[in-house]
Amino acid sequence: MRLRLKGGRVLDPANGENGVASGTVRDIEIEDGRIVAATDLRADAEYDLGGDVVMAGGIDLHSHIAGGKMNLARLLMQEDRRAFPEMPGNFCGCGGGRAVPTAHATGCRYAELGYTTVFEPAMVGANARAAHLEMADIPNLDTGAYLVLGNDDYFQRLLAAGAGQEQVNAYVGWMIEATQAFAIKIVNPGGINAFKFNARKMDLDEANPHYAVTPRKVLTTLIRAVTELGLPHPIHLHGCNLGVPGNDETTLATMLATEGRRLHLTHLQFHSYGTEGDKRFSSSAARIAEMVNANPNISVDVGQVMFGQTITASADYMSQYRNRGLASPKKSIGMDIELDAACGVVPFEYKDKSFVNALQWAIGLELFLLVEDPWRIFLTTDHPNGGPFTTYPHLIRLLMDRDFRNAQLATLNKAAQAHTLLAQIKREYSLEEVAILTRAAPARILGLTDKGHLGPGAVADIAVHTEDADREAMFSTTRMVFKNGRLIVKDGVVVELAQGTTHVARPEFDRSVDKDMQRWFDESVGLKSKHFRIADGELRGGAGPTILKCEGVAS
Amino acid sequence: MAEVQTIHDVACGFCGLGCDDLTVEVEGRQVRAKAPVCPEAARLLRRLDTADPMPRVAGEVIDQADAAKAAHQILAAARAPVIGGLGVDMAGAGAAVDLAIRFGGVLDHYASDGLFRNYAAAQRTGWLSTTLAEVRNRCDVLLVVGDDPAATWGRLFERLFPEKPLFAGSNRRVIFLGGAPGEKTRAQLAGASVVHHATTDAVAALEALGSFTAGRRPPGSCFGGIEADTLAGLAEELRNAHYAVVTWNAADLDDGDLVAERATALVDTLNVTTRAGVFPLGGRDNIIGVNQLLLWRLGYPLRTAVQGQASSHDGTLFATQAALADADVLVWISAFRPEPPPAFGGKIIALAHPETVFDKEPDVLIPVGTPGVDHAGTAFRMDSIVSLPLGALRVATLPSVAEAVRCIAEG
Repeated sequence: MRLRLKGGRVLDPANGENGVASGTVRDIEIEDGRIVAATDLRADAEYDLGGDVVMAGGIDLHSHIAGGKMNLARLLMQEDRRAFPEMPGNFCGCGGGRAVPTAHATGCRYAELGYTTVFEPAMVGANARAAHLEMADIPNLDTGAYLVLGNDDYFQRLLAAGAGQEQVNAYVGWMIEATQAFAIKIVNPGGINAFKFNARKMDLDEANPHYAVTPRKVLTTLIRAVTELGLPHPIHLHGCNLGVPGNDETTLATMLATEGRRLHLTHLQFHSYGTEGDKRFSSSAARIAEMVNANPNISVDVGQVMFGQTITASADYMSQYRNRGLASPKKSIGMDIELDAACGVVPFEYKDKSFVNALQWAIGLELFLLVEDPWRIFLTTDHPNGGPFTTYPHLIRLLMDRDFRNAQLATLNKAAQAHTLLAQIKREYSLEEVAILTRAAPARILGLTDKGHLGPGAVADIAVHTEDADREAMFSTTRMVFKNGRLIVKDGVVVELAQGTTHVARPEFDRSVDKDMQRWFDESVGLKSKHFRIADGELRGGAGPTILKCEGVAS
Repeated sequence: MAEVQTIHDVACGFCGLGCDDLTVEVEGRQVRAKAPVCPEAARLLRRLDTADPMPRVAGEVIDQADAAKAAHQILAAARAPVIGGLGVDMAGAGAAVDLAIRFGGVLDHYASDGLFRNYAAAQRTGWLSTTLAEVRNRCDVLLVVGDDPAATWGRLFERLFPEKPLFAGSNRRVIFLGGAPGEKTRAQLAGASVVHHATTDAVAALEALGSFTAGRRPPGSCFGGIEADTLAGLAEELRNAHYAVVTWNAADLDDGDLVAERATALVDTLNVTTRAGVFPLGGRDNIIGVNQLLLWRLGYPLRTAVQGQASSHDGTLFATQAALADADVLVWISAFRPEPPPAFGGKIIALAHPETVFDKEPDVLIPVGTPGVDHAGTAFRMDSIVSLPLGALRVATLPSVAEAVRCIAEG
């Protein structure tokens, strides 16, 4: 099957091509789901792009799309589902919802925006099988999941007993394989565990009340583990003290704790708060961005706050419990999970007239605009925690259009306006930079060499947008989206449901750890380790995962 | 003679407790469970070397394709189907939702009363809950409300009270508020100290206990038959616990919704100063898994109607009994156990366990295999977090629910 996309302006930063700037158009050729070098062969289908902008399919490296906490969110926020019913048109079981859309709605809405790959960033091991079942029901998207590690009692016990790095590496490798994960996520390192022992806060160098292990030790040990196992994605960190004014110091200290090793700090906006001003809540975005700029080992995503109703769902039960008084509507769920992790689900409405919420919005944008290297910052709202992913087109316009941004800023809480330097920032993102943030850079940091670009050999996940000076309008719809070379969206409407794949990473590890895992599961968890493990055939309705083999490095 | 094959570490999907250490003997078509096994699992795993029943349409034996065709015709002409029972594994649940999307229909599980009683708390206010391995290792004071749950979950206390919990220490306390613990329960709790307080009104007792725990003394000297001072003492014990857990079986309690609310409030109070969680019991025949799948597929829990290009949810109107009042067709699916359909005047299509005894011959009967006996599958545990892979114990001769539904959809 050969397709030809004719006469598009190709925007492919990974390969240094910018047809938007040069004004040149060219064809893209696809054979059996992959991009190939141009040929003279007859194509089975041709699509005339008429100079439209062609990019690789979007990649979201941090969006909560599956797993038990999302179902708890759906259960708790039936209002969201009722307010956003099925879209009109051909009924495919699409369901609905906006803050916590159904699996089908997630796949369809993402595809309509030109996204074709999305990673679930907080899969709890005990819940991994369920998360994979749910991901299999998301159409149009390739997925993958980061395993939440570092708060589990097995790991805390290892550290408390002074286990060597080799032993930790074997455990991490075993867990990644057993849960079919792609990367390691740390959520509030050690804090979730400490909360089970009734600690209410946890700083970087504070000792766990039971194990006496510090978050710093959790972080540095796991950073070394993923480095030595050769996982493509660095530790994906949700740091200590989420949402707490004054957490800027923790965040800066966390970056220094890496000692030059790679680290990804997620939803950085929620970790960039100072305590200045009469409200004791201020922006530290400039300080934090400066540190990011100076440390090439650091990458970040923002977790931009977008105004409106949403629901927050996180493994960080310690923080979510602390914030449950702010729930709107007034209800929330919390859960300790299986000697493994936890979760907290709190509905939330970000209000533009609220000082704190307006400043959160500004802090996020400051980070976007002050972090200089577009290859190390990624476009996220931490869906749905800062806002639903469907707000991305609006966010892109905020980044690309200074007048629009300042006009929005002028409508917000007055005190918040006085506490941000946003109005003075002149930077506007270019289309190329947006393509880096949303395609090229995430593919690179995830180690997905055949995604995020349009060169020969790439998976034919392609988004075509008609250029529009109103960037929100431009990115709100797609003229065409191809998934593995199949047209799935035409003129903004999903025309076909494609079955995606799930990316997993497979590191080599010392398999002698299996015996101890069996003992741990038998004695403590009360489950057989072999039943905890997920077989390849359990993924994607029997199709199995797409495996990325990891090459470990010498320790 | 077939050889006897012994299979270890068999996972069980019947009651929702998710035991996965069963030993089972298989001899040709025969299956029998050995220890460790509870009486319920032993009964439901037992298979004799008997011939499978054939599909029937209006009582006439027919081949499977024709039975599926007859079911398809009934559904194609149906005005308001109910797809009930739903004792199915995850693949079967997905197929049932596909069926509802194709033909319309109300989706409910036969054991959903307890679930929806709990939703009076879980959905309205939310709750702070916990899972099996946490209770097993952390819980130092367990409050059991209602009757001894061991009648339904034969190995519950064995699972929750291992020889060496990681953190709970040696002085674990179990307080029964309601029925007395049975002999088996006491044996499983041999390492813990057990007290029993009989009550005529668990809701009143629990509410007063909540007040005492919050530091208030409610007016009155006796609550649900328990002395105020006794409750004040229990409150003290809960407040001093490191990790208190409240458990109940809402399906078994007429006021299960109120028990869930009061338990939730009590646990909320405790968490202000110490740690605690609710641990609601339930989970029969993968109801939790089916409910999870509905939430991610349709955005609603069980008791949801798919109709006219959209779904809607109503915990009262779309409960099986209420929905049947307006229905013309019942698709009854029960693969885990021979649960018969409720009385119904309309047409019945049964995808049923082969031992099901019907009061009235179904219009279409397609016997189906059991997940975890005849075919592999996935079932959730009661805590909605952990799910287990169920293996096949013998060669399947009956279709799975997913296969049978696919045949019906193809017609």
